[in-house]
Amino acid sequence: MTDAQPQAPCTRTAHAIAPDVARRAAMEKTRGRLVIASLGFSLLFGAVALKLAGATVMFPMQSKRLDRLAQLPNPISADASAPASGALAMPPRDAGPHTRAMVVDRNGEILAISLPTAGLYANPREMMDTDEAARKLKSVLPSLDLQVVRARLASEKQFVYLARNITPNEHLAINNLGIPGVYFQATERRRYPQGRVAAHVMGGVDVDARGVAGVERAFDQRLRDDPTPLKLSLDVRVQAAMRDELSQSMAEFHAIGACGIVMDVHTGEVIAMVSLPDFDANKAGEATNEQRFNRAVTGMYEPGSTFKLQTAAMALDSGAAQLWSSFDAAHNIRIGRFTIQDFEGKHRVLTFPEVIAYSSNLGAAHMAQQVGTERQRSWLHAMGMFTRVGIELPEQGQPIVQPAANWKEIATMTVGFGHGIAVSPLHVVRGTAVLANGGMMLHPTILEAEAPQSDEHRIMRQSTSDTVRKLMRLVVTDGYGKPADVPGYFVGGKTGTAEKTLGHGYRKHANISAFMSVFPMNAPRYAVYFMLDEPKGNASTAGYSTAGAVSAPGAGRVIARIAPMLGLMPETVTAAATQATLSMPLRPGRPAGWRPPVDTSLAHAPAHPQEVPAPQQPVIPRQEAGPSITSVAAR
Amino acid sequence: MALSRSDNSVLGRWWWTVDRWTLLAVGTLIGFGYVMMLAASPAVAERIHQSRDVFILKQVVFLALAGLTVVGVSLLSPRGVRRLALLGCLAALALTAATLVMGVEIKGARRWISVPGMTVQPSEFLKPCFAVVAAWLLSQGQRRRHFPGMLLAGAIFIVIAMLLKSQPDMGMLAVIAAVFFVQLFVGGLNLPLVGVGAGGLVAAAGAAYAFFPHVRSRVTRFLDPASGDSYQVNTALEAFGNGGLLGRGPGEGRVKDVLPDAHADFVFAVVGEEFGMVVCLVVLGLFGFIVLRGLLRLLAEQDLFIVLASCGLVTSFGLQAFVNMGSSLHLIPTKGMTLPFVSYGGSSVLAVALGIGMLLALTRRRARSEPVWSTAS
Repeated sequence: MTDAQPQAPCTRTAHAIAPDVARRAAMEKTRGRLVIASLGFSLLFGAVALKLAGATVMFPMQSKRLDRLAQLPNPISADASAPASGALAMPPRDAGPHTRAMVVDRNGEILAISLPTAGLYANPREMMDTDEAARKLKSVLPSLDLQVVRARLASEKQFVYLARNITPNEHLAINNLGIPGVYFQATERRRYPQGRVAAHVMGGVDVDARGVAGVERAFDQRLRDDPTPLKLSLDVRVQAAMRDELSQSMAEFHAIGACGIVMDVHTGEVIAMVSLPDFDANKAGEATNEQRFNRAVTGMYEPGSTFKLQTAAMALDSGAAQLWSSFDAAHNIRIGRFTIQDFEGKHRVLTFPEVIAYSSNLGAAHMAQQVGTERQRSWLHAMGMFTRVGIELPEQGQPIVQPAANWKEIATMTVGFGHGIAVSPLHVVRGTAVLANGGMMLHPTILEAEAPQSDEHRIMRQSTSDTVRKLMRLVVTDGYGKPADVPGYFVGGKTGTAEKTLGHGYRKHANISAFMSVFPMNAPRYAVYFMLDEPKGNASTAGYSTAGAVSAPGAGRVIARIAPMLGLMPETVTAAATQATLSMPLRPGRPAGWRPPVDTSLAHAPAHPQEVPAPQQPVIPRQEAGPSITSVAAR
Repeated sequence: MALSRSDNSVLGRWWWTVDRWTLLAVGTLIGFGYVMMLAASPAVAERIHQSRDVFILKQVVFLALAGLTVVGVSLLSPRGVRRLALLGCLAALALTAATLVMGVEIKGARRWISVPGMTVQPSEFLKPCFAVVAAWLLSQGQRRRHFPGMLLAGAIFIVIAMLLKSQPDMGMLAVIAAVFFVQLFVGGLNLPLVGVGAGGLVAAAGAAYAFFPHVRSRVTRFLDPASGDSYQVNTALEAFGNGGLLGRGPGEGRVKDVLPDAHADFVFAVVGEEFGMVVCLVVLGLFGFIVLRGLLRLLAEQDLFIVLASCGLVTSFGLQAFVNMGSSLHLIPTKGMTLPFVSYGGSSVLAVALGIGMLLALTRRRARSEPVWSTAS
């Protein structure tokens, strides 16, 4: 604090000599300072006046909350405490000037829409007869629980919520009752007219219209900010057909779950994505965890034999094997404690096409062995099998992949036929679509794409893709995929049956049975994946629950239903000629004049070992993947 | 009031000597406070759990008491004012100290003492009383040899500062410090020391920012509204925006339903929403009129005690109004302080009335030969 000392002597001296003069001088000083103080206050109050003019007239602040509140006839203030009433008086969210945007499918069909509704609340203190009010309300809203309403209206509070989502008709009817103390709060309700059909993709919103899953969550901000409808890549007709066929197959084979995907092989657009069991998107809150689980992107399954297409492609593309190469499928492979064997094998030497058509584990294992660990890993990495699939859905999961250090020869061989790695069905679909589309990498998307992806890049030779297309067609014409054929659509595909893991081993008779198909094979347009989780064989399949028996027929039915919807007409007149271009002998001979390549793979393939860095994504060690492969069966 | 100039009664002399313009301005403010109370009553009555009638009655009583206090205190002679201030200062100091022991804790601070019917914030009364006492000590220090007036005043200030820091009530402390500083400044403190004092205030503000988390959070939110919850101030600004030039009309405002402190700390926003910029400017003008008239009239005053005391009272009144209006306009960080006479609140309106009453008493016209200082005992 300031001290008087420096000033005091001076004052005292002056006082002693000429008290009056000194005092007058001091008063003059004081007057000057008073003027300064007045100026200071003028400044402060002037600032207030300026700010006031700014806040009221010149730059008035946009008011959302207060305007919204002005619609309410009475102050909301719930119970006593000030913070609580403040919180209640605040609207539940900053909804902005418009309601949440619609979500539509690629044809403009509405998948999600926000409808204006009203919340019903009351101030019991303003009511004359709460019992009568409760009875009257019940007459308009039969779903009200009279006891609960009575109890709430009897409380001392001044704000009690009675019902959400009142329709305009009910709103009018309640107003006509003329009950004092009853009020409405403007709200909106998210409706999904398609109900269960695309529930996993849509996800859902909570009571405050915030996206909690799926597209609603992924595009939450977009849907709030931009009122124009969000257009998805889905075709709801295809989606419904897929769901229908999956449900029927699931019921027929008593499966515990099912999954289906349709993807455009040139754009990566997901046309349909179904996971069963599903839920009604309008009642997402009541769904169980099992129902909410999206098998298509969250479920990580061993792909099984569908992966043999990848092995075949990498062998061909790298030159590690040729179509006329042959592989020993006569002898089981024993490495340490593990035995690899074929399911209903031919027990002889198989040609390259036979390995695929008959789905030989032994053949695929040898094929993968010839490709080698390093090239296999960089191929799978380029195919995106080691990282999240990259679709816009927040539920997408991380593949389960062994780290490079554990990726020994046994792993190379088992991954060759789709075991010892777990990826989502969408990974398998994307990988197969790339094999079929000529070798251009795809980024799966749930949004409608205007044009083929611009940043696409080639990860394999066109000629490899052409050969793989013929191999896929061969599986359907001569192999286990026969039930999937649809005349005129040249379906190609690959079965995949994998025993589900349980702890450290595989479960007998608990299969993931999938059929991975593409059509039409002469000019591929769509990839169709059809999977049943733990199907049980029945009389019609002679007890088999393998993919060829339970999933291939379903895939065929789906293709037959959706192809016309997608604008593809069956090609019947020129079928024979087209088939001729696709056919391939099961036992091709070596063409005359062919010489083994001097490891040309490095020269022509951009995505091959040297260029491709090791996977950057940390790979999750799959626990005990190796030891469990004692009796892997692929069919 | 038909009082003849020759009326020699106490009231008669008062009427002809008191500053009637200031009195009129104060009366207008009280009337305006009454209107705002009626407008805000439904929302506030709910908030304080009372029926609207009880609330209105209570506030009518408070405003009437405030009016009576203004008139009653202004009847006093300067000497009476000084005695009242001295007693009040001692009592308020004691009670402020008592808040630390037996105070009611509201929102994390112990500033209030519960008496039947209301809670009293003793530091509110400390503000005008200390201004008068400090003025007396300072003027005596200049008048008399060997009287360490500035030292004594400084000592009392330090005691007050310690008490308020413990409550904590940094806003009140800031106002009292600023008032004391203005008194020292007007009292003729030489400029280097003025610089030291101003530096001290800045340093103290910096220290408060550094050591009191709630101070820091408010300042941070003021400087960068995105950094935290600026709900109150945004809502207040929206209210002003809604009001525009002429307002939405009496009782049509919504901010009073939304902001818990609308009837006290954000009453200016309620005025802005319901009555618009023009009436807000009138209110601001009334405060400015009282403050500037109070200060400028002192130019003609000969007595240092009167000058310092009045200037302190006016400064305290003006600063309180400025802080209230400034915070609701987001001109300064939010600081809960009532708008004199307009805000709802019992003890604060009485304290303000006490200060204004003292001001009116000190600035009553006296004969030149009536030296107030010589009567100091």
